[in-house]
Amino acid sequence: MGDLVLEALTKRYGGTVAVEDVDLEVRQGEMVALLGPSGCGKTTTLRMVAGFITPSAGHVRIAGQDVTRRPPYARDTGMVFQSYALFPHMSVAQNVAFGLEMRRVGRTERETRVMEALRLVRLDHLADRLPGQLSGGQQQRVALARALVVNPAVFLLDEPLSNLDAKLRGEVRMEIRSLQQRLGLTTLIVTHDQEEALTMADRLVVMERGRVRQVGTAEELYESPRDPFVAGFVGRCNLIEGQPEGTAGFRARGGALLPCTTAAAPVGTGGVLALRPERIALAAAAPGEGAARLEAVTYLGAQTEYVVDYAGTSLVVIRATPPEGDPLRRLAPGDAVALTWDPAAARLLPAQ
Amino acid sequence: MAALILPAGLLVVLLMVAPMLLLARISLNQFSPTEMMVEAMSPENYIRAVQDPYYRSVLLTTMVVALGCTLLCLALGFPTAYWLARMQSRWKSIATILILFPLLVGNVVRSAGWIALLGNEGAINAALRGLHLIEAPLPLLYNAFAVVVGIVAVVLPYMILTLSAVIEGIPRQTEEAAANLGARPLTAFRRVVLPLAIPGVAAGSVLVFILCMNAYATPVLLGGPQFKMMAPAVYDQFVRGNNWPFGAALAFILLFATMVLTLVGSALIGRRYRR
Ligand SMILES: Nc1ncnc2c1ncn2[C@@H]1O[C@H](COP(=O)(O)OP(=O)(O)OP(=O)(O)O)[C@@H](O)[C@H]1O
Ligand SMILES: [Mg+2]
Repeated sequence: MGDLVLEALTKRYGGTVAVEDVDLEVRQGEMVALLGPSGCGKTTTLRMVAGFITPSAGHVRIAGQDVTRRPPYARDTGMVFQSYALFPHMSVAQNVAFGLEMRRVGRTERETRVMEALRLVRLDHLADRLPGQLSGGQQQRVALARALVVNPAVFLLDEPLSNLDAKLRGEVRMEIRSLQQRLGLTTLIVTHDQEEALTMADRLVVMERGRVRQVGTAEELYESPRDPFVAGFVGRCNLIEGQPEGTAGFRARGGALLPCTTAAAPVGTGGVLALRPERIALAAAAPGEGAARLEAVTYLGAQTEYVVDYAGTSLVVIRATPPEGDPLRRLAPGDAVALTWDPAAARLLPAQ
Repeated sequence: MAALILPAGLLVVLLMVAPMLLLARISLNQFSPTEMMVEAMSPENYIRAVQDPYYRSVLLTTMVVALGCTLLCLALGFPTAYWLARMQSRWKSIATILILFPLLVGNVVRSAGWIALLGNEGAINAALRGLHLIEAPLPLLYNAFAVVVGIVAVVLPYMILTLSAVIEGIPRQTEEAAANLGARPLTAFRRVVLPLAIPGVAAGSVLVFILCMNAYATPVLLGGPQFKMMAPAVYDQFVRGNNWPFGAALAFILLFATMVLTLVGSALIGRRYRR
């Protein structure tokens, strides 16, 4: 048990930078998700924590100790690999017992702890099977039990759910989260699925091209993204390039003037206005009245998505699907609409 | 498909089984100094071969050398095969070609090279004497040592390539998982890599062992007149002694010994690691 601290962690491969200057603290018992597009350095970061990759610069501290130069077997991390990496020649119980054997835990204690761990992941009835005789989800849970049974100081997961189907993914996600909370494990999880990150982690780290863009809770990242990349990556967002025009609002490149509270921002500097699609209200308007025209309507069940041309700027609007009989239900592409939003909901962000 | 398989199958049978059957038949005939061979149905050639202490010792030598070479190949080949299997792609093909390179040179030419290296006037002895480290030349050639060195050099590539093909199939992540769970490199090797590589160890050992049991050119050229293995002994009977029946019996004894040892060895390896 302990906390995990990364200090200016960097990995370069020749000229290319895989991870650059990553600072991060994962507190005791906390679950932090590394989130970002493919190739942004999530796996590299995780593998530096486990010790499989030697950093080019920076430090990894586990429970206060600098482990940057320690080999993987002396680090006390428990890792769940994307491919599970079970030992195919050992039974489920032998797989789970491996880490305890390495720690020279006596036979009787080992057996109780293995069964306990297998019960935790509800696989005690399959203890004698070989990994090849299990389904993907069961293998996944063996991998979890194998990493958990040794009580690692840091629990590491690299896209643990990517090989599971959608339904199982939801279940295992909850299972991992509740185990992690029950055992108070300091956890770093890698994912490129934002829903996964939002539902599982206490805090999220959004990475892009090797760098940390923002660290925060799901709410912080969603409500107050620091830059357009984070705004666009966490949830959907209209990102409109242009310039603030004092109290008047924000002048989009396409010419539209969008209401927002940007009085503080200096006139003339470029910026990006971030406006969440569900913060925009939509109403039918008489033809010729108002500046907005509906371009597309997509029915998504509970919600309906509208694409609106707002005086030359294309905006996505998401609303709860109106009930049968509501005039909004009959809107079709080409119709005139009126858009309104709380100016405070539109956030001005620095240009990329 | 069957139309293609049938003629091919018949050809294989003809090429592989027919000579064996012929040889088996000959081994039961009798030798006659005047007529070469007399038709018979007797096991006397086998009985003679088994009872003759000379041929018993030749068979024993053959088995010991073959076993020794196989173990040596395993010890030398495993690390190399592992290194090759885990190599990054660009250098891998080059390394593979380098490992195969010795096979481009025939056994006889290669043995000539060993003679030039190991002989009394060879490079090693000349160098040692030049440095005044030794007075008389070391006996490096025309003995078991030279034969083992020569055979290992021939068969090692087979062992390495067989092993590395199997090791490549072991995901690196299983090794990482072992390390992550606290296994030091040697423990990870013993508990994870080796058991998963056992099919390769078995296949490579069987292949190399059979090649060693049947080695001909290397024992003849590097072993000298005193050192005898089975394949040259068979040849001697056929060509020098003109005693085909006895030669054929020796050949079958060699075949039988090879088969028995191979089966016993595979069974031992299998039992040790099947859990
Ligand atoms: N051995 C290597 N040599 C050179 N470049 C590498 C190496 N390993 C990774 N990289 C580069 O480092 C960057 C980060 O890779 P990493 O595997 O950490 O990405 P990731 O965030 O895990 O992506 P994904 O979501 O696709 O798994 C990538 O651009 C990758 O091409
Ligand atoms: Mg990855």
